[in-house]
Amino acid sequence: MPHLVLDKISIHYDGQPAPAVEHVSIGVDKDDFVVLVGRSGCGKTSLLNVAAGLVAPARGTASINGQPITGPGSDRAVVFQSDALFPWLTARENVAFALRLRGVRPAERARRADELLALVKLGDAGDKRIWELSGGMRQRVGLARALAAEPEFLLLDEPLGALDALTRERMQTTLLDLWTASHAGVLMVTHGIEEALVLATRIVVLAPGPGRVVRTFEPGFSRRYASGEAIRAIKADPAFAAARGELTDAIFEGEAA
Amino acid sequence: MTISFYTERPVSRTDETNGLSVPWSRPRPKRTGVSARMVSAVTILAVLALWTLSARLQLVSPVFLPSPLAVWNKFVMVTSDGFVDATLLQHVVASLGRVFAALVAAVLVGVPVGLAIGISTVGRGIFDPLLEFLRPIPPLAYLPLVIIWFGIGEPSKILVIAIAMLAPVALSTASGVRGVSRERINAARSLGATRVQVVRHVILPSALPSILTGLRIALGAGWSTLVAAELVAATRGLGFMIQSAAQFLVTDVVVMGILVIAAIAFVLEFTIRRIERVLVPWAGRE
Repeated sequence: MPHLVLDKISIHYDGQPAPAVEHVSIGVDKDDFVVLVGRSGCGKTSLLNVAAGLVAPARGTASINGQPITGPGSDRAVVFQSDALFPWLTARENVAFALRLRGVRPAERARRADELLALVKLGDAGDKRIWELSGGMRQRVGLARALAAEPEFLLLDEPLGALDALTRERMQTTLLDLWTASHAGVLMVTHGIEEALVLATRIVVLAPGPGRVVRTFEPGFSRRYASGEAIRAIKADPAFAAARGELTDAIFEGEAA
Repeated sequence: MTISFYTERPVSRTDETNGLSVPWSRPRPKRTGVSARMVSAVTILAVLALWTLSARLQLVSPVFLPSPLAVWNKFVMVTSDGFVDATLLQHVVASLGRVFAALVAAVLVGVPVGLAIGISTVGRGIFDPLLEFLRPIPPLAYLPLVIIWFGIGEPSKILVIAIAMLAPVALSTASGVRGVSRERINAARSLGATRVQVVRHVILPSALPSILTGLRIALGAGWSTLVAAELVAATRGLGFMIQSAAQFLVTDVVVMGILVIAAIAFVLEFTIRRIERVLVPWAGRE
């Protein structure tokens, strides 16, 4: 079973008096959708960057399938809050970027890119330039681009953070559909409490000063969506409201009201 | 408390201004008066008129200021018959050839140097002081040294122009490279790009708008170095033409040459702006 493991990770940035994250362990299985939530400064993005290989931990080990993580790799594609797309390429060429790096022939990578664009419901936007797309469309191109690398894990750093509320709402189901279709494990960072509940198979609540795990939830609403239940019905479920209250309490626990 | 605060606001003012209480937020009615372009046109015409008038009234000797008509006639004559053994077109081609040869050299050296400055600390340590040393030196100052080292042939002329172009190209490239967003690079690396691929597929294209701006500045700098470069042992070129004319006090050719240099600079600037729009349409739209 492919497995992404952060084992007793501490992160200490140069010039900072205190560690940003201390002694955090998180494991992501191939069929997991793990969401990190917590107040600002709890180190959730730092942890994601350790998994991505962009930040080296001060102590502890990050590994994928038993191999230590020493740098970024296409087995762990990252999607950032700002889309970080390449404006000199069309939407299709952006999606095909990982394939181009590997020397896949142009016809083949265009075909594959179009498949992925169709998967994120942008089937007719392949020839569009990035600046012609809305924020939500860009983020979907970003997701398709990450999937093109055929990663074992998707690392999402507040991928819906810069979108308006209505687009966010719709992108949540897109994310779940992609998670089901791609068979990639997901590790995601978000500020959205409802978003975390809808998407996650497991929610890890972090607290700041230094960043540490305070609670873990296994909400199970995303599995309900995956087995065919409508997202609106799930959100209307009293159990959903109860879970939201509980998660909110956990996030703000220990903070003066 | 909050409520009383709001009712205290002068409601009547809003009514006065038809629902817009902030006068400066209203879209201005389209002014039918003067535009900057018109003022520029009038200014140019006024200068021409003054010039014509002073020449017609013979306020100054034609040796100092030939009439516009005389300059125009010289333009026609030099275009067809030539001056100092070459037609105007041949002078222009010689000068443009030098400037473009220098541009190619400046890009071949300047872009990699700029990349090195932008990417690596060692690169910055090596090239930054050298460029800062080179940048403020006027071409006429290093011209003698270039001639001592490389002789009076064509390479020296191109080199003088290229040195003037090097700093703008390299520094613009470096600032473009430093401006590449961290997330864009990280995204590419997490998609499996090696360091070389990141430079080739992410950093260079990201820096392209800045590099093109550098080329535009460099062309301006190079073109204004032209006369200096053609000071020594040239037989063709606009700078050479002006200097020869000056030695024989053929002032109308001097003035004509200056105007041609200005016109070509304008065309170059305009052309490279068009190229920018075609090549980097995303600049300023991200």
